[in-house]
Amino acid sequence: MAIAVFFIAAALAVLGGIGVVAFHQPIRSVLSLVVVMLALSVIFLLLNAQFIFAAQIIVYAGAVMVLFLFVIALLGPARELGRGRLRFQGWLSGLFVLVLLGLMWSLLQGVQYRQPDKGDLSFLGTVQSIAVGLFTTYLYPFELTSILLLTAAIGAIYLSRKRIDDL
Amino acid sequence: MSTLIIGGSQLDASWFLLLSAILFVLGAVGVLVRRNPLVILISIELMLNAANLTLVAFSRQLLNMEGQLFALMSMTVAAAEAVVGLAILVDIFRVRDVEDIDDLSELRG
Repeated sequence: MAIAVFFIAAALAVLGGIGVVAFHQPIRSVLSLVVVMLALSVIFLLLNAQFIFAAQIIVYAGAVMVLFLFVIALLGPARELGRGRLRFQGWLSGLFVLVLLGLMWSLLQGVQYRQPDKGDLSFLGTVQSIAVGLFTTYLYPFELTSILLLTAAIGAIYLSRKRIDDL
Repeated sequence: MSTLIIGGSQLDASWFLLLSAILFVLGAVGVLVRRNPLVILISIELMLNAANLTLVAFSRQLLNMEGQLFALMSMTVAAAEAVVGLAILVDIFRVRDVEDIDDLSELRG
């Protein structure tokens, strides 16, 4: 059962990823990315990551993708011109794909898995265990991410302000 | 090989890693091939998601929470990156239309 779920979700994710690269209209790329994210959230659920699953759907598929859709709606449909300035770009990208995939494949062949820690599978990934980690051992990184978010928000407000000479 | 028993059936950890590798390569290809700056941002999001999948897969394989905590942090970074990148794009598009990322090469020395 879990194997079927995994392969369906993985196929959806790969198809969505191909769609992101292949579609010519940006809005279709965004919608393909939503498919990828929903498929990945199913896989996160398979991997005992309930909280990450919820965060993936709410933060990524919800907030970030809606932001992208808003920007596309704001900027209007921009079609991509087929040409690139770099000649042989298609060839080079094909070569790059093959080299990178081969590299990752050979890396995966040599992965040595460590013996699992003595963890409780029923406790892994619950909201409680995430919260214990975030508010005890990793308190400082957690606070730093909140500062990062604040910085990003200030930066976005600054960049999208109305300039005086625009008025 | 490391077998994970999920819901009674046996899945291998390397399947998740392979899926993550494929998605990452697709994202990298998108960044390299596509000309539209918006699509490049979207491809970067795809690569970040693939990295998250690796983190979560190893978290499950090692029965260790830290991978999931780090995935959460990288989600925050991705959200911040998307917000700032899109704000910059909107700011540029207000002045002129950019159909090709190579139009934005004024900062080149």
